[in-house]
Amino acid sequence: MPHVFRIETQLMIPTQSSARLLREARAYLGVELDDLISLKVFRISTESEPNTERIEEVFVDAIMEQVHWSDGLGTLDKAPVWTIEVQFRPGVTDNVARSAEEALGLVGINGATVATGQLWLVYGEVSRESVERVALELLANDLIQRIDIRDLAGTLEWNRFDSVRLPSVELGMLGELYQTHDHRQSVDNWMIWSQDNCWALSTEEVSHLRSHYASEAIKMQRTQMELPAEPTDVEVEVIAQSWSEHCKHKIFAAHIDYVEEALASEHTRVGSKKVNSLFKSYIRKATLDVERERNLPWLRSIFHDNAGVVAFDDAVDVSIKVETHNSPSALDPYGGAITGILGVNRDILGVGLGSKPIGNMDVFCFADPSWPLEGDEPAMPVGLKAPRRLLEGVHKGVEDGGNMSGIPTVNGAIFFDQDYAGKPLVFVGTVGVMPKQLGDGREGVHKAISPGDRIVMVGGAIGADGIHGATFSSLALDENAPATAVQIGDAITQKRAMDFLLEARDLGLFTCVTDNGAGGLSSSVGEMATLSNGANLDLALAPTKYPNLKPWELMISESQERMTFAVAPTDIDAFLDLASRRGVVATDIGSFTDSGLLEVLYNGTYVGCLDLDFLHESLPQMQLKARWEGPIDRVSWIDKDLRADPTSLSWFEKLKGLLATPNVVSKEPWVRQYDHEVQGATVVKPFGGESQQGPNDSGVLWLYPHGGAKDNAVSVGCGLAPRLSLYDPYVMAQMAVDEAIRNIVATGADIDQACALDNFCWPNPILSEEVPDGDLKLGQLVRCCEGLYDICTTYGLPLVSGKDSMKNDFRGRNGRGEALTISILPTLLVTAMGRSNVGRIQTSDFKRAGDVILRVGMPHTSFTGSEFAEHFSVSCSPVQIDLDANLVLYRLIRDALQEGLLQSIHDISDGGTLCAIAESCFGNDLSAVVTLPAKDEVLFAEGAGGFIVSVSPDKLEELSAKLDAVAVTWQQVGVATDSGSLTLNGEGVTIAELKNAWTREL
Amino acid sequence: MTTRQESRFLILTGDGINCANETAWAFELAGGQAEIVHINDLLDTPERLLDFDGMAFPGGFSFGDDLGSGQVMALKMRHALGTELKAFVAKGSPIIGICNGFQMLTKLGLLPHPTRGRSVALAPNLHGQFINRWVTLERPSNSVCKWTQGLTQFDLPIRHGEGRVVFSRGQEKELYQELEQNGQIALQYSEDVNGSYAKIAAICDPTGLILGLMPHPEAHLFALHQPQQVQQPFAEGAGLKLFQNIITHLNRTSEVSS
Repeated sequence: MPHVFRIETQLMIPTQSSARLLREARAYLGVELDDLISLKVFRISTESEPNTERIEEVFVDAIMEQVHWSDGLGTLDKAPVWTIEVQFRPGVTDNVARSAEEALGLVGINGATVATGQLWLVYGEVSRESVERVALELLANDLIQRIDIRDLAGTLEWNRFDSVRLPSVELGMLGELYQTHDHRQSVDNWMIWSQDNCWALSTEEVSHLRSHYASEAIKMQRTQMELPAEPTDVEVEVIAQSWSEHCKHKIFAAHIDYVEEALASEHTRVGSKKVNSLFKSYIRKATLDVERERNLPWLRSIFHDNAGVVAFDDAVDVSIKVETHNSPSALDPYGGAITGILGVNRDILGVGLGSKPIGNMDVFCFADPSWPLEGDEPAMPVGLKAPRRLLEGVHKGVEDGGNMSGIPTVNGAIFFDQDYAGKPLVFVGTVGVMPKQLGDGREGVHKAISPGDRIVMVGGAIGADGIHGATFSSLALDENAPATAVQIGDAITQKRAMDFLLEARDLGLFTCVTDNGAGGLSSSVGEMATLSNGANLDLALAPTKYPNLKPWELMISESQERMTFAVAPTDIDAFLDLASRRGVVATDIGSFTDSGLLEVLYNGTYVGCLDLDFLHESLPQMQLKARWEGPIDRVSWIDKDLRADPTSLSWFEKLKGLLATPNVVSKEPWVRQYDHEVQGATVVKPFGGESQQGPNDSGVLWLYPHGGAKDNAVSVGCGLAPRLSLYDPYVMAQMAVDEAIRNIVATGADIDQACALDNFCWPNPILSEEVPDGDLKLGQLVRCCEGLYDICTTYGLPLVSGKDSMKNDFRGRNGRGEALTISILPTLLVTAMGRSNVGRIQTSDFKRAGDVILRVGMPHTSFTGSEFAEHFSVSCSPVQIDLDANLVLYRLIRDALQEGLLQSIHDISDGGTLCAIAESCFGNDLSAVVTLPAKDEVLFAEGAGGFIVSVSPDKLEELSAKLDAVAVTWQQVGVATDSGSLTLNGEGVTIAELKNAWTREL
Repeated sequence: MTTRQESRFLILTGDGINCANETAWAFELAGGQAEIVHINDLLDTPERLLDFDGMAFPGGFSFGDDLGSGQVMALKMRHALGTELKAFVAKGSPIIGICNGFQMLTKLGLLPHPTRGRSVALAPNLHGQFINRWVTLERPSNSVCKWTQGLTQFDLPIRHGEGRVVFSRGQEKELYQELEQNGQIALQYSEDVNGSYAKIAAICDPTGLILGLMPHPEAHLFALHQPQQVQQPFAEGAGLKLFQNIITHLNRTSEVSS
């Protein structure tokens, strides 16, 4: 009989964590608590009588913690009014418990099982309903956790230290290995199955599937394998995964009939046209055209691996990838974000023969975290996490994902707009390095699989996690059902796998590797199989978290931290041995073949067989309609104009207001919770200067510690301008690219050795009854791609990697019960990476009083899409971007930095010229005397191609001559001072006051 | 003529240690030899430890900080390497524990005194959050620490969520005073960054050879690591001095003994 017991530990020294929770309960939930104390709960099952001393050695730090083996609540000085017990639901990954089991083994208690949780003691005379809200909003996520609320009497009666039980997943018996679905049944029937099983197949896809199974050749093949003529569930699930929008990017591959109405002259005319694949016509074409025209020998590997690879160094290749994790983050902000960041890390690990992640990036698009404002609650969408909960959860997920893995978070942005209230966007990216050549002579980017190579799955065991991604149907969970909708990331399991991968790579122990991401084994093995032209695997060999998972579940589960390797038969023993010595689970589950088939078995019995060509190459192209008619006015779902009248305000009141807006305000307190310099290679950090408060434009990673040349580095920056989508997505795309490029140019990157990534997040652009304006949204996408193509070919900027997420809409109800649809602003995130030299990098902060301040680049004249227009009523003129002039400017900045002419450089973006000047003051607590026409357009307009730079007076002449020589527009706008006041045309405001506004708590 | 053997350092890695590479680099830049050894390989042949002149417990998130920072790694070492570690300390081998490594050293009981019981722990920061920023550190004038000799005031980054030095409850004052009088307070922050008792950033054992510190010296090897602008990017950073100091100490000891 196992011994099952419970202990609780309590930190006995004060921290301010509970103060923060109390403040949030008051501020966001209106619940006034006196105190909140948390105890860690461990439920433990051991085979023999537990040795108290040993148990405490594992679970308790006697210096700062107290342990309870029995209920101590009755004896407390102050009894709580309520208690909240939080436990993971069965099947949810409990990382701490896994470590605890390992630790118990270390002290000689083998075979123990642990479950962890928290017990919160709630003080204050509040209602049960209030406690429930605190629990749901601040302490737990009921999607993955079970929450039990008791009053004091109930808690004492509960006898929680007796009759302790651990959660366990109990699935029904395995029964039949598969179900079949008759392909002879009607398309309508299939569409019902598709709906019921979350296959998301279209009628065209169903027809294609049915006719495939009707063919004589397939029938014969299936008879030989003793498979039924009808498709098995394993097969349909693999097909659905492989053909999903997520995996196949059907919209970017579609045939589009684009109609463009007559446009005002301010808009670049694209003209009505037929587009055969947006990807091929714009994205890949931009890169190929740039490559052809400029001959870019440093483009190493693009479009066919997990990430783009460039050669910005002679010894190491640099890879880069950006992903989105929007839906999972909406359901479980912390879990969604951490699995997102760990997932994109695995993408980099799976590039070539394995790249080492050296930097993370993250960009969030959310609604203002202060929403809903008092009285607006009924207007908010129902059933979603509050904007602040999203921000905090996602932030924490990115923090833990990066910090625990030892990967610095070097760049990012948070963009707030009301139209992200229905669907948050979470972009996560990673930069990696790999040796150009491995010890055994193979090139780092080289992937190859020979028939006979073993298929090895590495990482955690398979559970029902993430089956069918994030579907709301999974909300209906009963106590013993696994929580399938979301996955919990485990940074430590992945860190071990990462260290193992790099060690095995250097020992030459594998021939190919890829991430097990969306679609699980189905995708990873399915895609790798195309390299050898076949694979044969037995799912019964895969390790599982609990028994009786069905073969189709094993095939598509998205249980985290897994990667799939191809290992030559001669290396398999060494590979598995190394894995075991590194504490990494690795399992040989089959072999790659050249049969042209993906053969799936369970204990030697065929459960599915799919022709690879059918799976990957045969899908009929979608036919879509698109149109664009010009700018659209924003229809605000919140139905409220929050803008102020600027005419009665002074310039400094407007400046202070802008500095304090959610988009401009300093994100330093959030960013400081990310480790941004682990690995010892972050040269430009998010915030710099003596005060460490100067906001830098991009992160710079030094390649020398990673095997590169001593002075070699890469700058990584990002840009996005979603509000311009309403005006013209063509301009939106160009502004996003230009901002990303400005950001890396500002830290010293060479525009002629730079690449970019395109990440599209769009509302559903397929015309249907449910989406009556789908063709307009697709038209926006076409124009966006046109703008992207034009700027990339002008700047000579190859697109080396990208991704799209196409259905970002909320369709539901508001608090008043009215139907509400909120579509995100069509959003293109551009990430740019360029080569820089650590001896010539620069930062945004003014360095010395007396340095001359210049504004370089074309003056901005438009408020369209600007922060100013978001907060003040103002009329917006057309947006103009001069791409050729910008390119000249960026090359000139590179040369000026190379020659050491600039003391500081900061890009002009949100909030315009005056905000950029103020921000440049903050890094070294300097100030400025500025002379500029006191017009809102001059001070606050936004646009492309502008910087605030400072220059030493003795270098001014040299710099101005260089600027004039290439006809770059510039003006001297002031001088840096140490007076403590920002003075405009003789009127001053203290820097302290401005900094105060800019550093307000978000 | 004698050729002096380069000092050899074991840099521990595995199970979530993140900073082994830059820590090894620091020893090499300072003129030593560094070998990164996986914890499981070391536990296979624990006696290997005694082949080394010094050892580093680098920063990271061993076991994800589950059950408390450094806790599980310390258990693992105590149960499988306890004897060798004692012998290693007894022969006067220097040990540095950085960040998570400091947490391991206190959990292992090597700090503040390798032969007495534990009296120090690193608790969650008072403000409850992880923090990464550069801080100014001061070396108390009576410090016996061999690693920080010659330094008075210098800058390093901190990157931790659990870096607040606390003493056994009820004995804080006495324990602190004893360390203070022994010169075992190796470094103090110039400002309160995490609620640490008496702004303590680093503690050494009474010999000054075992150092545990929350800030990261291996993250300030070159001037360019600083958040401020620098004129000479490749000039030596202040963190390098700690590694140079210990190598000088080992060289001097080997000269005396040979």
